[in-house]
Amino acid sequence: MAMNIVVCVKQIPDPADPGELDPNTKTLKRDVKLILDEADSYGVEMALQLVDAAGGGEVTLVSMAPDDEVGGIRTALAMGAAKAVLVSDEALVGSDALGTAKVLAKAIERAGDADLVITATESSDGYTGTVPEQVAELLGLPSITFAKSIEVDGNTIKVKRQTEAGYDDVEAPTPAVISVTAGVVEPRYPSFKGIMAAKSKPVDEVTVADLGLDADAVGWAGARQEIVEIATAETREAGTIIEDEGEGYAQIVDFLADLKVI
Amino acid sequence: MIKWSEEQEMVRKTVRDFVDTEIRPHREELEFGDLPPYDLLRKMFSTFGLTDSAKASFAKRIAREKAIEAGEANSDEGEGTRTRDENTVAFSVIPIIELCRVCPGMVTAMGVSMGLTASAIQAKGTIAQKERWVLDLLTLDKVGAWAITEPDSGSDAFGSMKATARRDGDEYVLNGSKTFITNGPYADTIVFICKLDEGNPAADRKVVQFVLDSGMEGLEQPKAFRKMGIHSSPTGMLFLNDVRVGRDRLLGESEEAFSGSGGREASKASFSIERTGVAAMALGIVDRCLELCIDYSREREQFGQPIGQFQLIQLKLANMAVAKMNLQNLVFSHIEMAAKNVPVSFTDASAAKLYAAQSAAAVANEAVQLFGGNGYMSEYEVEQLARDAKVLQIYAGTDEIQISQIARNLLAED
Repeated sequence: MAMNIVVCVKQIPDPADPGELDPNTKTLKRDVKLILDEADSYGVEMALQLVDAAGGGEVTLVSMAPDDEVGGIRTALAMGAAKAVLVSDEALVGSDALGTAKVLAKAIERAGDADLVITATESSDGYTGTVPEQVAELLGLPSITFAKSIEVDGNTIKVKRQTEAGYDDVEAPTPAVISVTAGVVEPRYPSFKGIMAAKSKPVDEVTVADLGLDADAVGWAGARQEIVEIATAETREAGTIIEDEGEGYAQIVDFLADLKVI
Repeated sequence: MIKWSEEQEMVRKTVRDFVDTEIRPHREELEFGDLPPYDLLRKMFSTFGLTDSAKASFAKRIAREKAIEAGEANSDEGEGTRTRDENTVAFSVIPIIELCRVCPGMVTAMGVSMGLTASAIQAKGTIAQKERWVLDLLTLDKVGAWAITEPDSGSDAFGSMKATARRDGDEYVLNGSKTFITNGPYADTIVFICKLDEGNPAADRKVVQFVLDSGMEGLEQPKAFRKMGIHSSPTGMLFLNDVRVGRDRLLGESEEAFSGSGGREASKASFSIERTGVAAMALGIVDRCLELCIDYSREREQFGQPIGQFQLIQLKLANMAVAKMNLQNLVFSHIEMAAKNVPVSFTDASAAKLYAAQSAAAVANEAVQLFGGNGYMSEYEVEQLARDAKVLQIYAGTDEIQISQIARNLLAED
């Protein structure tokens, strides 16, 4: 049975060279070269593996960006995704999590009938971690978060959902929205052939209006979330160094006992 | 070509990620633990789909050669006149540059196996010989060695060559010692270059080449030498003591395959390829040295300020940047020429190799100097790169041989 999977991917400033925060908007400046969020590469890999296992179907990417940046999308296309929908519109600047979810939900519908929508649990630059559930709600689909593995059995998705203690076995009917935990699969390197092919793969570039959304519902205009303040993270306090003179273990035991972890 | 294209940039990034993740962690074992490089190279090739594309292009080439042999295709439209996509050429150069940022020896091991050895058989072998040996070399399923140098014949490779082949009925009996043979200890397939001994004086003997498989009776492949640098490229000797071979192992199945100007031209063509490859290797070494030196110049403080504030350090950085710019331009021009099928002349290849080798060695040495005491410690990569860069001035023709080739051309009368 062919599987068609939509993967939501975000293009973010390279964490190795992240640029800076804009003091006026209190958001990250995005006028630098953007790359595929590493957190999304696990979802792309998971989707490619599921399509392979199903023996047919394709992976479609969905992304939004204030400008028509495609650098990060090309990486995912080079890995093996078939096509992409890119929502590119200046009106998107300043979108909050819900605004983003509205746009992504419409773009997912535009991408066609998906058996599965895969996202990361959160982006590496925004970290709200709420978009996957908002997308699921807007699409009226079941949502499973923190998947460490996904198995498709007919019209049922079986997920091992990561918890603090281990994992839960969770099931949902297809289609469903599933967020994938980072690090659970090894994202493939794009092959040279894949890189060459990526340029000619279709990227359906659309505006907010093309999706039938009101420009007031997204961007700064539609944002109901406000960033009040940005502050430097507190520097960590220096740790305690214990010289081990044969009794070091006892001090460790006492330390852990003080923390009430043992 | 003035800069990397968008696809080439993607390939650079993904190869660099691979090298940093999959190869860099093995640097210690490759450098000091005698880890052979072949499995890592195989992993790199299969990861990027190069094994599959080598198979596909080999099948196409052989089908074409068979069609020409059967008179069904015209050999005039052969490879000699075909232009290639610049990306395709660049994709073969980028892994060389990126590997050299970490482990130049791996490029030597790879280049000798997939380049020199496979090309020698591809250039002069019969179709049957190509099918028997070349594909496995191109996919790295088999490791290749190209055996020309002998204990008493280095730069004067053919003049003082002592290795011999003697006819014996339908067979040949091979004898000789070869040294400094890259991949020698691990080679599965060896191209053995020697002279046909017909009882005539050594100077008059024809040069012939044979393809040998490891394990043949009378063939010894001792363990690798200890050497100054490129530890990830195993180098050894080969001893042949009455190795009996059939005509099927004589390259081209003809004693004339390598004689006359055809053989010399073939050697020159492979030297040209080898020499232009050195520019890419030098670029990788210089690029990494400069990157490390810039970081160190910012972080290392002496006399209360970063050492990058001192003019003598600035001079070193500036010289490194100039070398990098020149090498990159050289590599770009080689890529463009190869894509447009403009051959690099033997003298230009020598000039490029001379410059590349000298600048890589100078930059890496200066990098050690810039790092001071730390630079002399193997924990800091520049120490390895300096030892590795030195070989570029020696192999594939010493600096002195390149200089004499350039001068001979300058002084030649029209």
